[in-house]
Amino acid sequence: MKIRILQFAIFLMFFGFKLQAQKNEFPVSLIADSLKENANAVVRLNQIDVIISSQRSMNVKTKRVITVFNENGLSAVDAFENYDKTTSVKNVEVRVIDPLGNEIKKIKRKDFKDVSAISGSTLFSDARYIYLDYTPTQYPFTVIYDSEVENSNTAFIPGWFPVKDYLVGVEQSILNVTYPNNLGFKKKEFNFKGFNIQKTTDTSTQLSYKATGILAQKQEPYCAVSVIFPRLLMGLESFNLEGEDGTAKSWNEFGKWYYDEILKGTTQLSPETVAKIKTLVGNETDPIKKAKLIYDYVQKKTRYVSIQVGIGGWKPMLADDVDRLGYGDCKALTNYTRALLDVVGVPSYNTILYGDPYKRNIETDFVSIQGNHMILAIPNGNDYIWLECTSQDDPFGYQGKFTDDRTVLVIKPTGGEIVQTKIYEDKGNLQNSKGAYSIDEQGNLSGRITIASEGSQYSNKASLENSQPNEKETHYKEYWSNINNLKLAKINFSNDKEKIAFVESLDVNANNYASISGAKMIFPLNAYNQFSGSVKRIRNRKNPFEIQRGYVDVDEVEVVLPFGFAIEFLPSNFESNSKFGDYKTEIIKKDATHLVYKRTLYIHKGFYPNTEYDQYRLFMEQVSRNDNAKIILTKI
Amino acid sequence: MRFKFLIAAIILFSVVFSSKAQDFRLGKVSIEELNEKVHPKDSSAVAAVLFEKAENRLIYNQGSGFEIELVVKARIKIYKKEGYKWANKAFRYYLVNNMREKISFSEAVTYNLVDGKIEKTKLKNDGEFDEVINKYWGQKKITMPNVKEGSIIEYEYSLHSPNIGNPRDWYFQSDIPVNRSEYINYVPEYFVFNTNVKGFIRPEITVAKSNKMLTINSKERVVSRMGAATTNFNSDNINYIETRTTYLAENMPAIKEEAFVNNVRNYTTSLEQELSMTKFPNAMPKMYSTDWDAVVKTIYEYDDFGPELNKTGYFEDDLKAVIAGLNTQDEKINAILKFVKSTVKWNDYYGYSCNDGVRKAYKDKTGNIAEINLMLTAMLRYAGLNANPVLVSTRSNGISFFPNRTAFNYVIAAIENGNDVILLDASDPFSTPDVLPFRTLNWLGRLIRKDGTSMPVDLMPKKASVELKTMLYSVNDKGEVLGKLRNQKTAHNAMLFRGEIKDIKEDAYLEKLENTNSKIEIKEYSLQNEKDFNLPVIESYSFVGNNLSELIGGKIYINPMLFFARKQNPFKQENREYPVDYGFPFQDKYAINIQIPEGFKVENLPQSITLTMNGDLGVFKYLANLQGNTIQISVSNQINSSIVLSQDYVALKSYYQKMIEKQNEKIVIVKI
Repeated sequence: MKIRILQFAIFLMFFGFKLQAQKNEFPVSLIADSLKENANAVVRLNQIDVIISSQRSMNVKTKRVITVFNENGLSAVDAFENYDKTTSVKNVEVRVIDPLGNEIKKIKRKDFKDVSAISGSTLFSDARYIYLDYTPTQYPFTVIYDSEVENSNTAFIPGWFPVKDYLVGVEQSILNVTYPNNLGFKKKEFNFKGFNIQKTTDTSTQLSYKATGILAQKQEPYCAVSVIFPRLLMGLESFNLEGEDGTAKSWNEFGKWYYDEILKGTTQLSPETVAKIKTLVGNETDPIKKAKLIYDYVQKKTRYVSIQVGIGGWKPMLADDVDRLGYGDCKALTNYTRALLDVVGVPSYNTILYGDPYKRNIETDFVSIQGNHMILAIPNGNDYIWLECTSQDDPFGYQGKFTDDRTVLVIKPTGGEIVQTKIYEDKGNLQNSKGAYSIDEQGNLSGRITIASEGSQYSNKASLENSQPNEKETHYKEYWSNINNLKLAKINFSNDKEKIAFVESLDVNANNYASISGAKMIFPLNAYNQFSGSVKRIRNRKNPFEIQRGYVDVDEVEVVLPFGFAIEFLPSNFESNSKFGDYKTEIIKKDATHLVYKRTLYIHKGFYPNTEYDQYRLFMEQVSRNDNAKIILTKI
Repeated sequence: MRFKFLIAAIILFSVVFSSKAQDFRLGKVSIEELNEKVHPKDSSAVAAVLFEKAENRLIYNQGSGFEIELVVKARIKIYKKEGYKWANKAFRYYLVNNMREKISFSEAVTYNLVDGKIEKTKLKNDGEFDEVINKYWGQKKITMPNVKEGSIIEYEYSLHSPNIGNPRDWYFQSDIPVNRSEYINYVPEYFVFNTNVKGFIRPEITVAKSNKMLTINSKERVVSRMGAATTNFNSDNINYIETRTTYLAENMPAIKEEAFVNNVRNYTTSLEQELSMTKFPNAMPKMYSTDWDAVVKTIYEYDDFGPELNKTGYFEDDLKAVIAGLNTQDEKINAILKFVKSTVKWNDYYGYSCNDGVRKAYKDKTGNIAEINLMLTAMLRYAGLNANPVLVSTRSNGISFFPNRTAFNYVIAAIENGNDVILLDASDPFSTPDVLPFRTLNWLGRLIRKDGTSMPVDLMPKKASVELKTMLYSVNDKGEVLGKLRNQKTAHNAMLFRGEIKDIKEDAYLEKLENTNSKIEIKEYSLQNEKDFNLPVIESYSFVGNNLSELIGGKIYINPMLFFARKQNPFKQENREYPVDYGFPFQDKYAINIQIPEGFKVENLPQSITLTMNGDLGVFKYLANLQGNTIQISVSNQINSSIVLSQDYVALKSYYQKMIEKQNEKIVIVKI
């Protein structure tokens, strides 16, 4: 009994001591005012210790201390860990402390929520994650998060992001990495300039960085995180991926490894399928025409279903299985198409890239596993034709906005090659609208219009073809939100996949398009294509801005005015040219009741400094205002 | 030749015949069905359910007793690529210990027509997946092989569930057309279920009774006096009557989402059931829920409901201080509501049952809906008020029209004062008496008193939420506008606004306000009563706007409502199936005073009008008045009901249209 009491006393002492030690830990009062400005949360400390002990073992310890000021700052706590067969969470614990540093609550792993990571378009995956589900009882509060994760994959060393989000200040962010000197550790810094980041160690086995005092930043439109936030990429030349060792010093070597280890033996097809494909292609000799036949076959036969289990997250499903099941993910469908092309002697290559409407390159001077998508490259002279194999609708070789104009990795049997995908030039991204409308004595509009979209604008429209009637209605009522009481009388589409042109033909009418006050009738001449996107006013813009894709809109519309009215005021012709684009409108008076309205808006793609943002805004405002220029008629 | 004709005629005949007698058995897919290119009644349908047949049985399981067995057979036609998702099917199951459910798929086959012949592709293991979603729920998924445009898929799945109290709801209707949906319920005489059919389309119901027999095997180990053990096997046959109810619904159109809909599931044809009584032989009948009073009483007697209401010890000391010196009912309500809101934060979990209990929630300062609002009720009672809990079904939970326990998923507090009822919810920081969070504004709740009696309570707000904007501005000869604005919001408008600006920096809020209001520049911004929730919240600021008017041909055209004129009709569809649900009645008022520049005169002033919609359901008033160089405009739009029925939709749409036209009329100012 005595011993037990003694033990208890010791325990108590220890506990008491611990409590003492915890006091005044990270009190909120110590946060600099500058860091609190615009901040929903402040990262007091974010220390990541990565220990790579071998090609097949990596341990990542995280200690993160976040002070949260309000509900919007909760996401900065980021208390979650992914796990699967190769990644295990060794330890995770959270302590919540009050502004003075006193502990409010302690949360152990068993109190974390454990859920499946399947979401969105993925049908199945063995990935799971645990996350903290904590309801704050007061603000501010501070979370001390400790975790340790063990990983047998060394193909991905987590990147270091000292700043993860807008409106979060950072007191201190530390990275320590240790690694054997024989695995070819490498790193690359992005956007470090302008931030207080020091490299504190850099030897053959150790690397450390420390970032301090980063102020909370406000989000600004037309600017991506990847352009402004600092980040560090890391990788190994000798790595392990789901049990497969790999070595790559160059893209060529990486591609060779990928081809030999990951793609090998995945393109077998049954003799029946081989025979079927040969019959399908028949006597065709031109490789591109053969490829078209096969792409069409794949589009009709397959659908996109994503299943990611173990190495299946990296290795494509067998072509034979895709053939039998008629579905697969991007890797599986790309690889299947390659297998079919191979049957008829057309060479093609799996291509790794980032699929994203926001253009994103494979970092070419950092050899490592990158990308989130796969397409197929077919050599065509000195160039390639790119096939999106997950789409059942895309025209042959069309890259729309998901894979265009970016560096990608083409995997050839001889090795990997970095290539740029197709660039859709501003001038080719054309929307050509031709039509007419008339206004009657009551101000009602009736008209017809033909809109042809090409280049990257094709992708904005092509999905209309197969949309539901109510979706079509929603689209046009949105597109012509300037026309109240819009009624769609007739809608016709023609989709020329050869020329890549999508043509919409519509008959429309709208009651009271023109507003009548007294004997006057007023309405905007540009009924069919008003620039509606508003460019926001930003107080003191800090970041550069980017227009990722340029385009041209050309409009020519005949306007028939009602009888018994005279033109009191006609908007004048207008032209504005700037580095961001060119805009021109012209109104031709053919006779007393017939006008022709012509408009061209040409937006250039480009990357511009913050100081030019207001200029851009004012240019677009001019466009928007002139698009709304009104004609005034008076009853005779 | 004649012979050939004959064959053709026979084929033709059989084709015609078979297309008439469609076979609703798995495996009997016809060439006609495979050949069908579009749905005969809805050419835009991406897929359709050709038939679905569900059989729900209560089966006796030696050892575990009665359980539910649901067997569903389905045949689905895929018309278009956009319908491929119908080739994936997922079905959830509960996976906690003794209530664990079992699901299995079988007979899953894809049918295609290849060169005029039917090709079958069976689902194999590699297309079947079992996902553990979280601690409580798992999900079985299948993805069908070899699916193309025109394919037909079939599958069967069965669910075994020990939860006999709540059979799964059955949806006859779906977001694709359903040609035929049949649900057959087999219920032994020992069970009575409450059933309710929702939706616009009524299924045809037929009832038949038949005699059935159940065999219960038992064994008994008998040790004889000599010490030899023998086992006696008994087999008892029990006769009982089974009621078979068949619900058959045919040719149901696809159900579509629309704007301002409360919850589209409320309008989908479906069947809900709940066990109301068991009456086993040689036992007293046991009631579960038969009417609302019984349902409510059952809930009240749950350990995690009624008893939680009676606990007071944990808060007594603290509460005494809170209510010390307060006399009136209003003072007490406000003090206690504020106390609970600040003491216990909502952890985002719904439910009328406590999870950890009120005591722990109070200690941890966080709890679910039941913990917060039962605690609130208990405190109000402690303070001497006639407070009771009110069971609620949130908007996301839908509306249940018949008495059952799962009809509710939420609880609030009410104070009865004669015929007057005041509703309270302490889970939302900005909620005030009778101004409840939007999620709870859903038809009727059910108030439960201590004595077990209950009564329905209308949750839809009666009092209009008002937004009053007062603007004083002047226009100069260049058309530039300079003025002051005061915007006052009450009730739900105030609650929503407080929630919107919470945690947003003033700078960011003003930037947004400037951008949404025609890029005006705002100065001298101030906010009144931000924290005083019982008073209207008031914003005031001065502003300058350079693009609020148009100079055309030397005249100034200006919309007197400036950026507040509604530009678009929110009701774009020509017709509407479901009621328009605003959540609460409202009144938007504008008092505008405009100073025109010296040396100018008003050439055109909009005329005053009053619009009404279906009596006083909607009232729009627009009054314009000119006095010297000052224009006074008063505008008011009042919708006096939370809900506008679909038969009034056309009137509502045209009311909005006329209102928008009026709101967009301009004043024309010319130089003298």
